[in-house]
Amino acid sequence: MTIDLSNIFIFKTNIQTEFDKLRIKNVLDASQKVLKWNIDMDDADRVLRIVSDSLRPEQIISVLDYVGFECTELE
Amino acid sequence: MRTRNAEKEELVRQEAIEMLVRDGFQGFSMNRLAQACGISVATLYIYYRDKDDLIQKIGAEIGKQFMAKTLQDFDPEMSFAEGLKRQWENRAAFAIKFPKEVACYEIIRRSRHGDDIVEESLKGFKKTMGDFTHNAITNKELLPVPVEVFWSMAYGPLYTLLRFHEEGKSIGGRPFKFSKKIMEETFQLVLKSLTP
Repeated sequence: MTIDLSNIFIFKTNIQTEFDKLRIKNVLDASQKVLKWNIDMDDADRVLRIVSDSLRPEQIISVLDYVGFECTELE
Repeated sequence: MRTRNAEKEELVRQEAIEMLVRDGFQGFSMNRLAQACGISVATLYIYYRDKDDLIQKIGAEIGKQFMAKTLQDFDPEMSFAEGLKRQWENRAAFAIKFPKEVACYEIIRRSRHGDDIVEESLKGFKKTMGDFTHNAITNKELLPVPVEVFWSMAYGPLYTLLRFHEEGKSIGGRPFKFSKKIMEETFQLVLKSLTP
């Protein structure tokens, strides 16, 4: 599957632990608008990468905010 | 609309190889790589899912490059002497032309990513080389020794010479440069030792 690069969103987050990741997983897996996602736990910025053809970055930020995480889009 | 930029991707690949060879796994980070390439971290993450993804893709690519070069003008039906000679020539040419890629591949191969990469990139290669040695044993051109004995005898000397060349010196700091003549001399001894 080729992904339209315009549908990839990159965020810096304050996700710290595997438990945090699990909480985010529950939310993101539940959304049909999120086609793919992953967090680079190796990176200091805990970069969150989301593939979606219908969400806007602000919407992703508010979802993360809703479950209690800070999230800033990287450009 | 974002588009893929082949030039940028190549730059990322080159810088990543350089960084892995120079600083090893621990010193490698997506942030530092983005900085070295003069691109944003976000751009890097658009191309690669995460650090593991990047390392795996780079490793697989080098593996494929190595395999293509090594199998160039090679046929498993060749006589053992001819085929092994071609292997030496191809492997030496690759190692001399791409020393950084070789060093990087070794680092990745020894890491936790190693098994996946070797599996993925060298699938067809293993079969071809297996057929070659099998034919050689059947035709009584090669002693039926265990694979580890075969590999260390058949390629160990070559890689030792290539390592000397890469370091520019051999035992006791003697200056060393790989040459066809030295390769040929070593090859003949290797061939003699492996032939029934």
